[in-house]
Amino acid sequence: MKLMHTKLPEFLKKMRVAANESECPKEITIRGLENLTSAKMQSLRTGRIEHAVREMTMKEGVDRIEFVVMPRVPETMHTVIIKGIDKEGNIKSAILEIVNILHPTEEAELLGCDDIDDRRPAIGRH
Amino acid sequence: MKLTYKMIPEGMLEGKFVPLNIVFIDYKEVKEAGITPMEAFQAVANTIDGPVGMNIFDQDVVTTTSDGVMVEGTVRFMAAADRGKINKDFGYLEMVEMPYSDELIKEEPHLIQWKKNYPGKKLFRGPDPATKKIPVHNVCISGRASNNNSATEMMNIVTMEEILLPILGQQQIMRNGKVILGLTGGIISVGIGMIMPEMYGRVFPTRQFPAGETAHGSGVYAQTLKAHIPCIVADKSVLAENIIKCFEAGCIPGRTVGGSPAVLSVAKRMGVKIDMDNITDKAYEELASIGCTKEWMKEKVDILTPEEIIAHADDIIPGVDDATKYNVPDLIKEFTIEV
Repeated sequence: MKLMHTKLPEFLKKMRVAANESECPKEITIRGLENLTSAKMQSLRTGRIEHAVREMTMKEGVDRIEFVVMPRVPETMHTVIIKGIDKEGNIKSAILEIVNILHPTEEAELLGCDDIDDRRPAIGRH
Repeated sequence: MKLTYKMIPEGMLEGKFVPLNIVFIDYKEVKEAGITPMEAFQAVANTIDGPVGMNIFDQDVVTTTSDGVMVEGTVRFMAAADRGKINKDFGYLEMVEMPYSDELIKEEPHLIQWKKNYPGKKLFRGPDPATKKIPVHNVCISGRASNNNSATEMMNIVTMEEILLPILGQQQIMRNGKVILGLTGGIISVGIGMIMPEMYGRVFPTRQFPAGETAHGSGVYAQTLKAHIPCIVADKSVLAENIIKCFEAGCIPGRTVGGSPAVLSVAKRMGVKIDMDNITDKAYEELASIGCTKEWMKEKVDILTPEEIIAHADDIIPGVDDATKYNVPDLIKEFTIEV
């Protein structure tokens, strides 16, 4: 079971449920996955993250939840596909390129916060 | 112990926007303080309530510019911090020493300058790819702060504003010499693509592009790539002096030193033959887009002495828009902290 993956819509729903239906229900905003349309999310961590969302709803002084997904390694390599489409909608021609994108690291999301519980395994581990 | 360093604060600098705090530390200061480079970075970062790119510069070693001109001094250690935090995985990098060998000179013939101009000096350019966790760029990132291309390009990744800090400009900053503050413009945008193949280079980890080729490969668009970005570069007389030394060591523009507009302009005035056959069509297209056409390269001009070229470098070497010269102490302040 732990090797299974969760569907993206199911993942999003699980997080909303964890926040909205906890013992201390809270509103949640989810950011960082808007560009994904079909993706499988690591199940092993999905459960842990659901648990963390519920845990955060119950922390004293917390009024709402912001849920942010960002690249762990702040450089991502992407394939760029430039498609030329004909009048019938077929791909007439294509050029493949790459673009490497630099992202901020988590500190940019955590300015001013000292109560940070970093539960991430070292890079390269699950 | 005390640690003295130079800092350009985030914000406006003489009409140009600096997107994050920028710190330059002399490696001698770090050694004299008896601390590690990482401890020095952390001590400085603790005093800055915002994003900062930080470089530790060793004036006793040598490096190469992107077009392959060998120069004295380079960044040995680089870091990025945000509100005092240095990301533990991606916030710090060290450059790797390239030991001298006949094999290296054979693979990278622009290094004939090394023995002739800087015998016995250690060479550093980029980091060893095996020691860094980030896949491609030689970059440190902590929060909003990004220190890229082995410490020659810094960015605030949230505002997405950037500044270029070519290595000769940093040399002048460390020496309290003369720099030009301006906008990078089309000519330097094209020039930084005319690179030499280097293992563990400042930008590329392998010898990916041969001499005479362009790393950009973007035709007329190359001139726009960095055009609007502020830069701090060395005074053109300093650049001319270094290019002349490179030619005197035997480097050939377009073959054993990159065919950048600066290199080509000095070559023309010095009467150094450009290896036009080795420059590719793609590189010519980019050079021609900013006026360095084949006709311009062949054009007959008065040959000048090295001293005359250095004296008239502002007129001979093109590049940098909206440029103003400064004596470094008039532009960049020093700070001292207890460590």
